[in-house]
Amino acid sequence: MSPTDAAIEVENLVKIYQVKSARPVRALDGLSFSVKRGEIFGLLGENGAGKTTLLRILTTLLRPTSGRATLMGLDVEQSPYDVRKKICAVLQENAVEVFLSVEDNFATYARFHLIPRHEIGAAADRVIQQFGLGEFRKQKVIDLSGGLKRRVQVAKVFMVDKPVVFLDEATTGMDPINKRGTLEAIREQARQGRTILLTTHMLEEAEDLCDTIAIIDRGSVVAVGDPDRIKSLGSAIVEIHVTYESLDEGAFAELSRLPLLKLKRRHSTLDLSVNSKLISPFDVIQKVGQIGEVVSFEVNSGSLEDAFIELLGKSKARTGGAA
Amino acid sequence: MKMISAVLYREYLIRTTSLTWAFYDLFMPLTYMLLFGIGLDRAFASGVQSGGRIVGYNSFFLAGVLAMASFGIAINTAYGFFVDRENGMLSEFLTYPMTRGEFLIGKILFNSILALVQALITVGAGALLLGIPLRWDRAGFLLPGVVFGTAGWFFFLTTFALRIRRNDMFNTFINIAYFLLMFGSSLFYPLEGLPLWLRVFSSLNPLTWHADVLRYLTIGLGSLDTILAESAAFMLFTLLAFLAAVRTLQRGIVK
Repeated sequence: MSPTDAAIEVENLVKIYQVKSARPVRALDGLSFSVKRGEIFGLLGENGAGKTTLLRILTTLLRPTSGRATLMGLDVEQSPYDVRKKICAVLQENAVEVFLSVEDNFATYARFHLIPRHEIGAAADRVIQQFGLGEFRKQKVIDLSGGLKRRVQVAKVFMVDKPVVFLDEATTGMDPINKRGTLEAIREQARQGRTILLTTHMLEEAEDLCDTIAIIDRGSVVAVGDPDRIKSLGSAIVEIHVTYESLDEGAFAELSRLPLLKLKRRHSTLDLSVNSKLISPFDVIQKVGQIGEVVSFEVNSGSLEDAFIELLGKSKARTGGAA
Repeated sequence: MKMISAVLYREYLIRTTSLTWAFYDLFMPLTYMLLFGIGLDRAFASGVQSGGRIVGYNSFFLAGVLAMASFGIAINTAYGFFVDRENGMLSEFLTYPMTRGEFLIGKILFNSILALVQALITVGAGALLLGIPLRWDRAGFLLPGVVFGTAGWFFFLTTFALRIRRNDMFNTFINIAYFLLMFGSSLFYPLEGLPLWLRVFSSLNPLTWHADVLRYLTIGLGSLDTILAESAAFMLFTLLAFLAAVRTLQRGIVK
């Protein structure tokens, strides 16, 4: 990728936290990847994988121990002020002015991001409508529910026009309707040419939204690519979805003896995940066909979640960690 | 400049959400002087002796109240870091397109304005209600005296507010610091009559330097040489406190 294509470039980034009376924690361990301009880039990983540390470095809140990160060609350590001019961020912690009203939250955010005063009202009206906050606009944020506070926090970043947007688990705590609205707003930002780097634990959300996904584990990239490529890396996984006319306990018990990754029952429907390295999918399909009268039957390659679990399992096996 | 004005705007909005704050910000020092000051003024009806002069207790105490007001504002502002940290706002602020310096200057400017308004009300009421004889010819110097004082204490306390992670620990620290600094200083009484150990401790206390300078500017007590030395010492204290605050910010957070 040429320097002009990359919105974010991370090269061999290391971050070690010195912890009093404990061993130093290596939160990032030679992390490298790049994000193209205008793409939605998803960062996936377990708790403690290093996602938030990375975001804190890219948003100039933390210095890396070594390595280099650039944002729109600017070194985050050498030119933090210029970097901050090009970003807006939803951090993991709730960041709202709890003693101010919803609209004053937007007004202060807009002033910090240099929106001309005469445009602040219109920009606030737009996001208040977009995020369904109209009835709360005069209310102090301290009186709102946790989900609404998060909505105010996320809505703020959609007031401003910055080339790079960071979203750290932005939809956590939102109800499905507002989550859908937020995801649509994120897509709209990307359509306007903004680069979005997000972290999430909701893999379906990442699959639906992201152009590129990086899976990280203990501070290193385990896999990177578009969602289909990531799924193909977990190619040993096959998912089977089968509905029976009826299903008795004995038949279910018979299947549960097989070495399956997942076996879930809803009435007379079963969802199975098969790791083909542990058992042949054809053997499972044959067994599935024998235990009852099949009404419908579907076989798919593994989901992003399957690939995620498998890739992290491999990574831990390589490094000797617990799976 | 736009960023500093944004910080001022934010501080103003937050400050105006509570009438208690408005009272504290504007009238607390005056209330202190009227209640505590008048009580002691009656108790020491013959006045207090300092620098070869005998002055009324209210006159002596005025500078102490002004210094205490600056210190109180600095405590509130430093404590605001905890509130911002708990609300997640401190991290978010530091991702805004402003320098760390603009952030700190915006905060100190707002609080200096508050301290000046407090000083104006307190000094005005002291002259009008309590008949304190003021040195009006030095009134102009009160502005830098109050601003530097507030800034010095703000930077000093910011360092601790950023280093101490626990709210209860910070409260304990503030209570101890408040007690030691206030009573081991010239805020409430002249140092001349104190035992040697307390006089030495108080002479090395920046709150003494601050109060002495303000006392010289309000009622003309003290010698110019001493006041110049104490002014220089307080400026050095402010500079060191500023450097310590910046260093603390830079430990984990990029400048």
